[in-house]
Amino acid sequence: MSVAEKSGSTGAGAVAARPPGQRFDRKTIVHAVGIAIFFLLLFFVLPGITSNYWLQICTQVVVYSVVALGLAILVGRVGMVSLGQIALLAIGGWVALRIGFATGLPFPILMLAAGLVTGILGVIVGLPALRLSGLYLALITLMAAAAISIVLQQTNFPNGGGGFLGYDITGSGTAALRRPSIAMETTSFFRYTLIVGGLMFLLAWLHVRGKPGRAWAAIRQSQPAALAGGVNITLYKLWAFALAAFMTGVMGCLLAASGGGLTILQFPTQESISLLAAVFIGGVYGFAGAIVAGVFIKLVPALLDNWDLPPDLLLILFGVGVMQVLLTAPQGLAVQFPKDMMKLAKLIARPFTKGRKTAGEVAR
Amino acid sequence: MPDLKPFIVLGLALGGVFALSGVGLVVLYRATGVINLAYGAVGAFGALISWELINNARWNEWLAFLVCILFGGVVTLVYGYIFGPMLAPRDPLVKATATLGLLLVLLGLSSWIWGDDARSIVLPTTSEGFSIGEVNVNYTQIIALALCLVVTAGTAVFLRVTKLGTAMRSLANDREITAMLGVPVRRVEAAAWLGSGLLSGATGLLLSNLVGLDMVGLTFLVIAALAAALIGQLRSLWVTLAAGLAIGIVQACATPFESIGGYRSMTPFVFAIAALLWFARKQPALVRV
Repeated sequence: MSVAEKSGSTGAGAVAARPPGQRFDRKTIVHAVGIAIFFLLLFFVLPGITSNYWLQICTQVVVYSVVALGLAILVGRVGMVSLGQIALLAIGGWVALRIGFATGLPFPILMLAAGLVTGILGVIVGLPALRLSGLYLALITLMAAAAISIVLQQTNFPNGGGGFLGYDITGSGTAALRRPSIAMETTSFFRYTLIVGGLMFLLAWLHVRGKPGRAWAAIRQSQPAALAGGVNITLYKLWAFALAAFMTGVMGCLLAASGGGLTILQFPTQESISLLAAVFIGGVYGFAGAIVAGVFIKLVPALLDNWDLPPDLLLILFGVGVMQVLLTAPQGLAVQFPKDMMKLAKLIARPFTKGRKTAGEVAR
Repeated sequence: MPDLKPFIVLGLALGGVFALSGVGLVVLYRATGVINLAYGAVGAFGALISWELINNARWNEWLAFLVCILFGGVVTLVYGYIFGPMLAPRDPLVKATATLGLLLVLLGLSSWIWGDDARSIVLPTTSEGFSIGEVNVNYTQIIALALCLVVTAGTAVFLRVTKLGTAMRSLANDREITAMLGVPVRRVEAAAWLGSGLLSGATGLLLSNLVGLDMVGLTFLVIAALAAALIGQLRSLWVTLAAGLAIGIVQACATPFESIGGYRSMTPFVFAIAALLWFARKQPALVRV
């Protein structure tokens, strides 16, 4: 059983229905072109029309979109709820800073290392709870998140000091990770983040479209049936956990390099809950939902701040949204909104179409 | 070795409140299948209201405390009465996730109205007390400990003896069969929501005295209570009580040790994770044959 129980089937089964010989159907091609245009617009046009401040916020939106994507895969594809993704993001940042200050390794290696360590940690957190029900997994991830934030509060983030913790108490407090040499400026760093984020989306897409995606779909429908069908449940659940944690860890590395260093205040426990709410509101099944969630988590608060509105309104909206999604619209805003708009359009169009019909009847 | 006696008193009071919250969570879970993650937020919001009433509206203290407890009961009841039946057929995970919605709404409202400053409520019972040996004990600490013992014992007897308690226990087994037997399911569930909510108001009040009135902090103290409830496997009231007290004592006694003092808030998680590992060991796992 899962959060997704109210929904129908998702795209995983549709792959087989394609006629032989045709590699991609038309819908897929239209989608791919749409995504490519969206990506190119972000890559080339966005840096030209926004200031550095908003570009930094957009960098964060990319980071949190990928984190949200990891959570959306867990919730939507496998039916597991994790309330500790933000803590994993902090872990990724910590590892990247620690290795970054200790060595001169190139940035991509740092990202990989942060991702791998975070992935392993994600598996360790998830392992005991996987044998219990999904409720226990949610609770244990919430506890792990709180525990991680307590530890990080004591150890702080590395700022170039010595020892295992790498925190120099006499130093300037926080220090940013050095950026890759090709992305020193805000603009180029945004593009760099965008490319890495795009690669993460691609990685997730390949997983969902491939064998793991089919295994996850089977597990979500029914664990006993998946087991009978020969799916290795523990392996694929852990795989999903590790994938989400890996993506989150890589993004932690980028986050560590994006601003002036990290503090634990950037990773409050309630943000993991807000993230879950945002992912629900955005929609857990599609990839667009993750981007909507990233926008909600990072861009909307900045906009509210800009318009002198209290950012707390967003929390209230999240609360109402998560309940609304759970009760009525399990597919989230990314799917529900276009549907509602279509309905509205039909409703508006109805008097006109009706009128036309009567006119036709009169003519006959 | 530092003198631990004062910390044991602190720990018993804190553990008593953890246990009290844990019992509130377990009662609700047993009757309705809902883990109310907004438990701490409701209590904290109630405490903020009574802070406002005492400091700005100049209300009588006891009246304001009563408002806090009633607020907990009413908000939880309204949530349960509206959303409980809608979510009843869903997975426990979905029910728990929905309470996160309530949590976020309360967090947002409180930070909008009151900001993020830390406040404190001092119950009149805190200023008076007595000493055992060299250790001072105040009456708030006594209330916390006594209340958790009384509530646990009372709830255990209530569930076993009264008609309503029996109905709650049968609801926990099977909602539909219970309804078939003619038990007014919604009324029984409402009673469980109300009882649990009143407890959340009381714990919010006690915690804002013992720990400090900080919305986010109190909201996530629910995790400590949850740890106690998990050790009781969301079933046993007495194990929950014992676990809550143990967590409180260990956490308080870690304070004077410099090396681990900063990590003392991790105690509930260590307990809960150890307990979960223990249960998972006994659980028949779904693995490939």
